[in-house]
Amino acid sequence: MVEPLSFKDFNLEAADCPIVQTEGWDGTLASFEASVSKALGAPLPTAVGETVRHADVLIVRVAPRRFWLISEAGAKPPSLVIDAELGCSVLLGEGRVRLRMEGMRLPEILSKCVAVDWSSPAAAPGRAWHTAFHRIPVLLLRTAETACDLVVPRSFVRSLADWIADSAAG
Amino acid sequence: MNRTGNRLAAGGRIDHTEPLGFVFDGRELAGYRGDTLASALLANGVGLTGRSFKYHRPRGIFSAGPEEPNALVTLGTGGRREPNLPATTLELADGMTAESQNRWPSLAFDMQSINGLFSPFLSAGFYYKTFMGPTRRAWMFYEHFIRKAAGLGRAGTEPDPGRYETRHAFADVAVVGGGPAGLSVARAAATAGATVALIEQDFLLGGQLLSERPDGEAAAWLSAVEAELTGLDNVNVMLKTMAFGTFDGNTLGLIERRDGPTAEGAARQVFTMLRARSIVFATGAIERPLVFSNNDRPGVMLASAARTYLNRFAVLPGKKIVVAATNDGAYRAAVDLAAAGAEVMVADQRGAAPASLAADARRLNIAIRTGSLIADLRGGHAVKAARLAGPGSNLEVACDLVCLSGGWSPSVHLSSHLGVKPVYRGDIDGFVPGGFPAGQFGAGAMMGCFSTAGAIEDGHRAGTEAASSCGKSAAVPVPLQLDLGETVAGPFRAIPSTGRGKAFVDFQMDVTTKDIELAHREGYESVEHLKRYTTLGMGTDQGKTSNFGALSAMAALRKATIAQTGTTTFRPPYTPIAIGALAGRAVGHHCKPIRRTPMHDRHLADGAEMLKVGLWMRPYFYRGAGGDVNEAYVAEMRMVREAAGLMDISTLGKIDVQGPDAAAFLDRVYANGFAKLPVGRARYGVMLRDDGIVFDDGTTTRLSETQFFMTTSTAKAADVQSRLEFLLDTAWAELRVAVTSVSDEWAAMSIAGPKSRDILGAAFPELDVSNEALPHMGFVEAGFDGRALRIIRLSYSGERAYEIYIGASRGERLWSRLLEVGAPFGLKPYGVEALGALRVEKGHVAGPEIDGRTTLDDLGLGRMAGKRTGFVGEVLRHRQAFLAPDRQRLVGLECIEEGKRLRGGAILFMPDDAVAGHGRGRITSVTFSPELGRYVGLALLGGDVATEGSEVVAAYPMRAETVRARIVSPVFLDPKGERLHG
Repeated sequence: MVEPLSFKDFNLEAADCPIVQTEGWDGTLASFEASVSKALGAPLPTAVGETVRHADVLIVRVAPRRFWLISEAGAKPPSLVIDAELGCSVLLGEGRVRLRMEGMRLPEILSKCVAVDWSSPAAAPGRAWHTAFHRIPVLLLRTAETACDLVVPRSFVRSLADWIADSAAG
Repeated sequence: MNRTGNRLAAGGRIDHTEPLGFVFDGRELAGYRGDTLASALLANGVGLTGRSFKYHRPRGIFSAGPEEPNALVTLGTGGRREPNLPATTLELADGMTAESQNRWPSLAFDMQSINGLFSPFLSAGFYYKTFMGPTRRAWMFYEHFIRKAAGLGRAGTEPDPGRYETRHAFADVAVVGGGPAGLSVARAAATAGATVALIEQDFLLGGQLLSERPDGEAAAWLSAVEAELTGLDNVNVMLKTMAFGTFDGNTLGLIERRDGPTAEGAARQVFTMLRARSIVFATGAIERPLVFSNNDRPGVMLASAARTYLNRFAVLPGKKIVVAATNDGAYRAAVDLAAAGAEVMVADQRGAAPASLAADARRLNIAIRTGSLIADLRGGHAVKAARLAGPGSNLEVACDLVCLSGGWSPSVHLSSHLGVKPVYRGDIDGFVPGGFPAGQFGAGAMMGCFSTAGAIEDGHRAGTEAASSCGKSAAVPVPLQLDLGETVAGPFRAIPSTGRGKAFVDFQMDVTTKDIELAHREGYESVEHLKRYTTLGMGTDQGKTSNFGALSAMAALRKATIAQTGTTTFRPPYTPIAIGALAGRAVGHHCKPIRRTPMHDRHLADGAEMLKVGLWMRPYFYRGAGGDVNEAYVAEMRMVREAAGLMDISTLGKIDVQGPDAAAFLDRVYANGFAKLPVGRARYGVMLRDDGIVFDDGTTTRLSETQFFMTTSTAKAADVQSRLEFLLDTAWAELRVAVTSVSDEWAAMSIAGPKSRDILGAAFPELDVSNEALPHMGFVEAGFDGRALRIIRLSYSGERAYEIYIGASRGERLWSRLLEVGAPFGLKPYGVEALGALRVEKGHVAGPEIDGRTTLDDLGLGRMAGKRTGFVGEVLRHRQAFLAPDRQRLVGLECIEEGKRLRGGAILFMPDDAVAGHGRGRITSVTFSPELGRYVGLALLGGDVATEGSEVVAAYPMRAETVRARIVSPVFLDPKGERLHG
């Protein structure tokens, strides 16, 4: 997929990224959220960009009525049965790849690609947001002070990883 | 004081112990660390640095900053050439190579200086009047020569080997300008708790303080504040960084230059988009020149610049100096220049000089002539004498430097970029910002506060307010005081003085007072019209030194006030910026991101020649099928028609459509109905735009009562997804439907040909793929290697065919499996060229026909919609113009001339037509048909002449070809569909 990168103060590795996307209908959102919360056994994030980790699943509210349930590579994604009157779900695990990056140089390297204010509360560790990377829509998960996951479409992963590698090298 | 050339032996802020070598126009010269290119040239006695734009008049260094109109140079050689850079802004680096511009064969002897003799014919707007005849096409002839003569520097044509970078940055408070006001802003904002980005275009902080003596109290103040800011973690000092534009959302465009040798791989320039919660503009002011005959001679410079060269760079630019003044500030330059050993005379247009300044001047033997102005200058490549005019006498004064000081114009460019017009202030006779959007502030000279002490105080206020607007309100210590004792008298409008020689208002664009008078006589009364007619302010310096002079002249001609006359509009960029810096890293293979299908590597291993299709890389053809594309695609077509071929169709757009109202939604989105599509079946569908034009086509498969799997064309995948989301968010928010792009989820491949079913059966023996179980437009779901597998029987080629979808991570594995089991049946992969050719034979429309101009009826698909209503585009598809009998519609064409071929894009004429103009239609797609043994094509042809069996002439002007063709049905093969249904 993508060869791991290792520079001084910056590392990158790629992995599969099992995702279940679930979405509720306007008007029955509260019931939908209660249903999903019960099925997962965890509260759902209340605002877009917030995340909740439960067991092996990271629950991300990516849009007002849409959640991504992200599992680690190789893990079985949670199976959700959603009442069609409340919402729906679709597997997105094949089409996204997780670029896991960490190191002191991370903000500097990503500043060449993504408009992210690392000091903003909206980008604090544990927050997630959709953004554009070289005009490609990606989900950025801030996992720690100097670490993040970039969830990118599989067809673009090599191109974007190549961009990051060049940014890290020069 | 001892000196070499114009360089003083000591002093300034240069490092006299670190000499640097550089080359100007082939001459090897030397400067010091801390010089600019301009200061180093002056130090070496180089007074002639360029030629003017139109008249090719000799020009010298005029300023010491980015306002420089004259000393533009080309920096670097080969691919690194960068033209039109002010020498005054370039930090000298060892090995720097620069050359002057706009001259041939040399700067000293420029053939085009002959233009000066023709100047009566080259006045403003001359080419609008002169080159209009004798015929309407004459301009096309003249334009070539005019364009060749025009312009300044020339960019290189070789690839630039340098690297450029773009990046994003953030701050609470961005401070533009590192002079006394900006430094005070940064100190106040930072101590209030804000993160501060302090942006300074120079390679040193200090602004006008750098023009003060380096051992005085200004230098001490500067050192103290600089040390304080450097010690603060929340201050980011960005030197050599030009803020070139202000944009929405408190965003500043910045360019950092890194001239000179850079580390291997390091960027030459960095483009930063800085988003700040507050912006404080402390951009200072620009000194105004004076207008008189021959005021452009080398050796004429702004008084503040002369002082800068002396005090900052230890360069005394002249020995006998005339300072022409309208204000007190010029005396500071006169005093410093005289103290350095020059013989100085002040010609003050005012009736009297302030007593304290006059006393200081007399102590240094400076002659002061009040009520005097310069009427003319003598000299060619260097000024030799100034002719003064004044009460009672005219006097010629020998000199080698003339310093001009016509007052100060606040630098309001950046604060005006968002559309806030500057306003005139009579007390300073200049324009200041007309206001600020929320979160923006101004401080110092740009607000009309011209004393250093006042600027520091004003900066402190602005910094505190800017931090407070970001919620940072920690206690701020009082500002460090600095009073340089500047005296500011009331405004005195400079009096233009014109004699026989040209009196320039805009030095860079060669606009004179006579040009402005001419424009006025010809009725150009708006300042914007004046600008465009005379080209005033349209040079790379954006009229920084000319704007106010031109407004004054125009106001006087109109007998109006400057406030009534107004200013031109300020737009980014403030200074020229390299295109490379804007592109940054997005060049070469990073120009656009590349999309690869899951089978990409396998295609390469199998000898595929890849083709960029949008962002996707797709197999164009396989080398194994032929030596070139023409040979290969025909062989691949034969393979599909006679056995089977495997095609990577992962690039198709794929959209998951779910919800209780999904069927109703699709019924409105497609022109043909989908509500009654049974579960387990697929249907071809066409979407229209609101205006009735065909938007896209594709197939949608019903997976369950509430879930559909839609495919779109590769090209329109993102547009369709966006369109569906738009409709759900706006038009039909009541529908409970979710649309999700799953294009990357599924690897997709199509197996087509008479052997396709056999191969499918061999690959998935557990599946019943018989015609009964999986008929045309049928769908089955299964599994492969632990992933969901979807098989839809669809045909694009006209052969029996199956689209197979598998989780992307297993795409290459399934592809290999199919090739392996299909090999005994003759299965091989084929590329997009063969795919396109197959669909032409079958008469399927695609991008060339669905080109944003055609309707369902144009494409012969009108029956799909029938009499349905309630879908997007339904009303406007019946517009009268769409029903015109001569409207172009889809036809088939076959070549009927032996040894000739059809070409895509050819224009169609009837046999009796003259082959000229737009013709009756055009060929959209062409292929050689191995089955028919001739070239065939699809075309859009006027309905009034599109009669099957008739002949047309296809003209291809690019190759001067014409060929006869017969109009036939667009379905060239298997019109009854027996191949795909069987």
